[in-house]
Amino acid sequence: MALSTTVSQKKLIKRKAPRGFLKRVFKQRKPHLRLETTSDLLVHLNCLLFVHRLAEEARTNACENKCGVIKKEHVLAAAKVILKKSRG
Amino acid sequence: LNHYAKLFSFYAKMPMEKKAVEMVEKCLDKYFQHLCDDLEVFAAHAGRKTVRPEDLELLMRRQGLVSEQVSLHVLVERHLPLEYRQQLVPCAFSGNTVFPAQ
Repeated sequence: MALSTTVSQKKLIKRKAPRGFLKRVFKQRKPHLRLETTSDLLVHLNCLLFVHRLAEEARTNACENKCGVIKKEHVLAAAKVILKKSRG
Repeated sequence: LNHYAKLFSFYAKMPMEKKAVEMVEKCLDKYFQHLCDDLEVFAAHAGRKTVRPEDLELLMRRQGLVSEQVSLHVLVERHLPLEYRQQLVPCAFSGNTVFPAQ
């Protein structure tokens, strides 16, 4: 039961940036703006750091509740903090 | 978004529920929305229609990621693989030339 509802860690991850995806998302949101050649890489870096901070926060939340698994509430609480921090 | 959700579970170093993954994706969606709005504002403020790397640096400075102690290049070196690093960080090549040109 517990196994089927949790997602185990991936052992291998891709380090490649999904550049096409990033450009597409940006174009969808802001069709009148252009992205300079290397700035999508910096967007990727920014995303990485955002995900990193979110993960750290969620993990500490889970640890405080003495929970071995990261639950939805932990992510939600972390997201509130981190989204506030990552405003421009 | 799937890509970043995977990265999340990598950074978390912990098993997580499927609901939590959905939550992460929702967060990422919201985050991208904020990101695009901010970049639009920064570019418009500089009177440009193109988002340049400086805008991203300013954004990261405002987010508290880039500071006096930690510069953007340090973050690039820490988190991005070599082929992207070469495009972003200027480095001296043979023949006394610096690539990419500032």
